[in-house]
Amino acid sequence: MKFTVNRNAFLAELATVQRAISSKTTIPILTGVKIVLSADGLSLTGSNADISIETFLSIEDEKAELTIEKNGAIVLQARFFNEIIRKLPETTLTMEVLENNQVHIISGKAAFTVNGLDADSYPHLPVIDEKNQLKLPVRVLNKIINETTFAVSLHESRPILTGVHCILSSAKLLAVATDSHRLSQRIIPVEQAMEDFDVVIPGKSLLELSRSFKDEEELVEISIMENQVLFKTKNMYFYSRLLEGNYPDTNRLIPDNFNTEIEFKVTELLAAIERASLLSHEGRNNIVKLSISSESVVLYGNSPEIGNVEEDLSYKNVKGDPLDISFNPDYMKAALKAFGEGEVVVKFISPIRPFTLEPTESDATFIQLITPVRTN
Amino acid sequence: MKIIEKECMFVYYRVEGGRTMSNELRFPLKKDISRKIIHVDMDAFFASIEERDHPELIGKPLVIARHPRDTGGKGVVTTANYEARKYGIHSAMSAQKAYELCPKANFVPGNYEYYREVSKKIHAIFHRYTPLVEPVALDEAYLDVTNNLLHSKSAVKIAKYIQHDIWQELHLTCSAGISYNKFIAKLASDYKKPKGMTLVLPEEAEDFLKKLSIDKFHGIGKKTVPRMHELGIFTGEDLYEQDEMMLIREFGKMGYSLYRKVRGIHDTPVEPDRERKSMGRELTYGKLLKTEEEVTVQLRELAEKVANTLKKYQKHGQTVVLKIRYDTFQTITRRKTIPEFVNTKEALFFQASLLWEEVGDITQGVRLLGITVTNLYPLTYENIVLPLWNKELVDW
Repeated sequence: MKFTVNRNAFLAELATVQRAISSKTTIPILTGVKIVLSADGLSLTGSNADISIETFLSIEDEKAELTIEKNGAIVLQARFFNEIIRKLPETTLTMEVLENNQVHIISGKAAFTVNGLDADSYPHLPVIDEKNQLKLPVRVLNKIINETTFAVSLHESRPILTGVHCILSSAKLLAVATDSHRLSQRIIPVEQAMEDFDVVIPGKSLLELSRSFKDEEELVEISIMENQVLFKTKNMYFYSRLLEGNYPDTNRLIPDNFNTEIEFKVTELLAAIERASLLSHEGRNNIVKLSISSESVVLYGNSPEIGNVEEDLSYKNVKGDPLDISFNPDYMKAALKAFGEGEVVVKFISPIRPFTLEPTESDATFIQLITPVRTN
Repeated sequence: MKIIEKECMFVYYRVEGGRTMSNELRFPLKKDISRKIIHVDMDAFFASIEERDHPELIGKPLVIARHPRDTGGKGVVTTANYEARKYGIHSAMSAQKAYELCPKANFVPGNYEYYREVSKKIHAIFHRYTPLVEPVALDEAYLDVTNNLLHSKSAVKIAKYIQHDIWQELHLTCSAGISYNKFIAKLASDYKKPKGMTLVLPEEAEDFLKKLSIDKFHGIGKKTVPRMHELGIFTGEDLYEQDEMMLIREFGKMGYSLYRKVRGIHDTPVEPDRERKSMGRELTYGKLLKTEEEVTVQLRELAEKVANTLKKYQKHGQTVVLKIRYDTFQTITRRKTIPEFVNTKEALFFQASLLWEEVGDITQGVRLLGITVTNLYPLTYENIVLPLWNKELVDW
């Protein structure tokens, strides 16, 4: 194997596959990056058994300045290899595999010789039936990920809740995540060209996926297998393991009758919640209280040691019964951040029932649920 | 000399011209002598109750503990009457040792539920005079009588009324210490016993404290006394002579506090509903536990008892402590602080089992197990959980 490539273009690919490489893996070969050179270009692979990423640098990509002298393959220690490439002096580098899996890396006057591993010992990635695919713009998938993954559970005690439940049926894709204190659900219409599916994708995988995309406008093709999902773009294959087990039926948890409703500007409510949480974070219980009447909506935060805050909130509209409700402001903060700009309508039932947040211009495609804190 | 005040807490002494006279921080000393505090300490409380109810015990050495011959030598003395104390018997001593010191002593097993009832009656008497009563144990309490219900300026008069009421109504005696803070009041109640009353006025406080042996100072225990002696500190007077920063360096926060206490400064208020800081249960097993199964069964039982106490007081806590005593009397405690509050028997059992797995060694034979929850907070709030796993219909 021998090639010359633009250093920055190569580093960008390396950075992507490194998202899947952990230095702490129990399987030594997985600390490496697999490099395969063919007549079409250069492919890099990284994997941690949960996530596998393969990227492709085409010979036709002008910025890559790729010239191929001899095909071949090698595995190199990813972390160390990355350090070397980053510190090379020139804008291009040449790599050549010598005998005994030794690799020569040359850039300008600097020449490294490093030990590699045999590419044949690297695990094979799953083979996926590419006929059965759901196609979405990257932009849309990213939006779904941002709107749901923050709500997954971080505790391993209920592993299934660490994933996002994704269901495709009746030309609709539904994604929902919950940690049992809050829930976030997004539904999008799709042109369905594949069979229905019902899978749970690890939240961590989705976050890494979202960070690995380079072009918001390209299409991503999603294929599902028995225990794997593949997200494929022009130059990247992103595989993730699926979570096993039954995801709870969350649909029945979303209420549809409410007693109090208020409309807020997202940015204004968020700023007020952040102010109140300055104090609630110092207290033991981390709760803020919202006091709603037809005349005013007041947010309270307090810490026995530090002091307290009271803020008369500006709101668009309030209707229904007066209500005092306490909740964890961090859940509210994360929920509001998922809305971006615009306006939300917050709907309450009672101080001890979950409340919902939806965009004002909603057609029930994005909804969040937060459970309150019961106080005596 | 110029004094630079920093946040009114730190005073920095410095000579004009930049030459430092004292280059260390000096903390201002503020003595609050506005309060009137009584410390009431019942005289040999448990023993006195038994003598009252069983007059045949009067005048003979009496030890509240099960007789060592009935327990195979286990058990400790909870109280000894004054006759028994003449033999060197004191509370917290092993019953066996007490028996060796005075074989003819009467050993009476304690009836603690009953003593608790008596204690409640005593507290009711305190509350006739002030609402500011801080219970320390069944047999002692602090009273802040600065503003008392009799509108009396004399704390001595109130202490006399209390002693009188307790004697008239319960036929028990107590000793009272009266001063302007809790620290001195407690020392004063101990100064003359039984049936004593000692008043320490603000102007007498320093002399009173200087004369005390160092081990009388609250907070100086078995481990600290030898360190004090090494530093040449045997009395209050020796302590008084010490430099503040030296005490802080040697003893940390306690050093800071001792520097003040020996000057009669102690501002801790009388806290009427002082919250319990921990709740726990421990059990000593007559027959050693020798299998993991036995330990599991006992931990489950203790967890349930502690959970019931927590429930009764509407508390939950963040730290679980497991105490293990082996056959050899080696005792270990291991604590674990968790992000979420625990108060159910399941959660307590789970945490205690993890601690047992971590440090327990069944091969040594277990004599005692205990589970305690600390870092307690009132159960005034509950994070509502979505019923994800309940199959029943959700009716919001």
